[in-house]
Amino acid sequence: MGEVEKFFDRIISTDLLIVGSEGAGGHAAIEAHSHGTDVLIVTKGKIGQCGASQMAGVDFNVDGKTAKILGFDGDDRDSPERFFEDLVREGLYLNNQKMVEKYVEYAPKAMKDLMDWGMRIYGYDSVHTEEMARGITSAGTLWVAAIRKKVKELKIPMLEDTMLIDLLVSDGRIAGAVALSIKSGETVLIKCKAIILATGGWHRAYSFNTGSYDLSGDGIGVAYRAGVELISMEMVQFCPITMVWPPKDRGSIALYVLSCIDPFDKYIQLVNNKGERFMEEYDPINLEKSTKEIVSIASELEVENGRGGPHGGIFLSLKHLRTKFIDAIIRIANNRIKNELKDTRYEFITLIPELLEKCKTEDIEVGNAAHYMGGGIKVNENTETTIPGLFAAGECSGGLWGAVRVASACTEVGVQGIIAGGVAPKYVKKVEQAEINKNQVKEILDRINKPLMRDEGITPNELTKKIHEISGQKVGLIKEGILLKEAIGELEKIINNDLENLCITSTKSKELNDEWIKAIELRNILTCLYLSAKSSLIREESRGEFYRRDYTNTDHDNWLKTIVMKQKNGELDIKFEKPVVTKISLPKGKLTYQEAIGVATASLKRE
Amino acid sequence: MEEKKIIKVKCFRFDPHKDEKPYYDTFEVPISGKMSVQDCLVYIRENEDPSLAFFINCRLGFCKRCLIRVNGKSCFSCLTNVEEDITVEPLIKDKIIRDLWSKNS
Ligand SMILES: Cc1cc2nc3c(=O)[nH]c(=O)nc-3n(C[C@H](O)[C@H](O)[C@H](O)COP(=O)(O)OP(=O)(O)OC[C@H]3O[C@@H](n4cnc5c(N)ncnc54)[C@H](O)[C@@H]3O)c2cc1C
Ligand code: FES
Repeated sequence: MGEVEKFFDRIISTDLLIVGSEGAGGHAAIEAHSHGTDVLIVTKGKIGQCGASQMAGVDFNVDGKTAKILGFDGDDRDSPERFFEDLVREGLYLNNQKMVEKYVEYAPKAMKDLMDWGMRIYGYDSVHTEEMARGITSAGTLWVAAIRKKVKELKIPMLEDTMLIDLLVSDGRIAGAVALSIKSGETVLIKCKAIILATGGWHRAYSFNTGSYDLSGDGIGVAYRAGVELISMEMVQFCPITMVWPPKDRGSIALYVLSCIDPFDKYIQLVNNKGERFMEEYDPINLEKSTKEIVSIASELEVENGRGGPHGGIFLSLKHLRTKFIDAIIRIANNRIKNELKDTRYEFITLIPELLEKCKTEDIEVGNAAHYMGGGIKVNENTETTIPGLFAAGECSGGLWGAVRVASACTEVGVQGIIAGGVAPKYVKKVEQAEINKNQVKEILDRINKPLMRDEGITPNELTKKIHEISGQKVGLIKEGILLKEAIGELEKIINNDLENLCITSTKSKELNDEWIKAIELRNILTCLYLSAKSSLIREESRGEFYRRDYTNTDHDNWLKTIVMKQKNGELDIKFEKPVVTKISLPKGKLTYQEAIGVATASLKRE
Repeated sequence: MEEKKIIKVKCFRFDPHKDEKPYYDTFEVPISGKMSVQDCLVYIRENEDPSLAFFINCRLGFCKRCLIRVNGKSCFSCLTNVEEDITVEPLIKDKIIRDLWSKNS
């Protein structure tokens, strides 16, 4: 055994390591396998049973013209060009247009793969644009089940319940990774030539979020530590009408989904604690059917002004309807969900009817939860990062959406999975396994073991509470310079002191030690939140999902640029980059926030 | 505001490396609003004993991995309401890694 190997409980060699097993990672693995590449998936959960993908609604997008080739009704008025234009317009021009081109080009292939793998489809609908059909609907659980089945069929090796800890980089390129089995606490050395990161978002930085427990920004954190460039970290999408209360339902977007579906969208009203239908103030024409961003901001302002509910939300109300009418809505919902779609998901078959029933006598407290991370690891249209051998696909990457995501993220992750799964095998063929740096390995293992060795300090639970207070109060939906500065100062203190003082005292066991896993995740969560706060402070304008109370205009003249961050010699290095333009030139001028959103999403009222 | 009620959660505990045999710990959990068994376990882990091992991922019935036994009956911890005192145990009591998580979870 070599010098490096002896530090580990387990050693595995592969050509291509894929981290994350879901919409992006699973798809990438199947694609790479089809190129004859030796692949290993490492995932923090079990395939098909973790991440955001399983929880998605779900909708996929294919332009109306190409949809016909796939056998859907389609729409001849649509075209890949028109789809491309919509995406750039919706993204308020911050998108990398080369990535948008690839999205449109590969969307049909991503869809076809899923159909070939047996994903049941619910229908073809006007999801994404209200004018014409561009959306294919299904269930997230069916989506990930199709991927899981294919991965198992192909016998692609997997390490489940195993967490990527850090990347190993030698001579500026990928040499491997360090991972940890959550169940056994065993450390794993993975020697490989290339890595695709498909680790999803960093929802856990927010106490109120819609994602799953495994989403702690690990891919973004490890990439940053390895010196990889990140982009648009300020772009965080909050989902309105998310359940705030009771605790059991907290984080569910079932009512938001319902509020987007005809005919339910017509009946849902949002009210404040005085029973006032507050959207009349903010968007008297569109009311609750205004854009997601305007509804979110309006709800937030109501709460801020003391007109919110006891748990920090506003209310969804059906009190204007008669009981019999609500009964009819429940019947329609049940019929559609259970009988027509044969959906079996708890949120849809149990929770929605339960909540509608409750609406007969009370209003339901809902609010804005951290939902989708628009920024992340900077990649080009080929999913290549700034380190040779490192690729990123899906929600952990950034650059595609610009300032707003309206179209399907599920299509995004499939598209990027396919691209990464095609490009990485070519890279793997060209290079030899790089030598692993012993000092780097030692540093990583020492770092993760320290909290277990300390007998005093701050516990991961205490630190999480502190972070959630900061993210909730100062880095939320409505941003403001003074608060962001405070958040940055507080986060810097935490990163410099608390993070290096974490201690785990309740058990020193390495098996299923949630505190230990949290301690490791907190470094990544803090990286994401800190960089997000930093870039939020830098962007002195409002654009799409990004709203600054102190700079409310969308300023094309000064802010059509992305914020790119990386770690260089232990310091944060920040630069601006013009969005990559291929066909649509960047506009000039200043618009009010509402004007800009209105122009961008004129035909796109729903997600 | 909702009224708060305190319930007792009796929890199966076992660390095969440390304990000769399984035992039970009882925790008091304040119930406020509709809470699931998983919410109680999260409360315990965040406020009483961070070493408690149990499964959590999607919190809303998607991942189907949080199977557990409550008062002897198997159920998903995130989907099961709690109103009264409960006893929580792993689905299968052999092959325990720690506490409420067995090797085949
Ligand atoms: C509730 C909800 C509903 C949504 N609905 C829709 C919708 O209707 N339409 C739409 O377009 N989009 C929707 N989205 C967004 C969309 O689902 C996600 O953006 C997309 O599924 C992300 O896919 P992914 O593969 O990139 O990441 P995920 O599906 O989040 O998977 C991440 C994977 O990485 C693993 N991982 C993380 N860290 C590590 C680590 N350190 N080591 C090993 N593995 C790791 C995870 O375990 C998981 O396997 C929704 C999101 C949520 C939360
Ligand atoms: S935590 Fe996913 S089903 Fe309960």
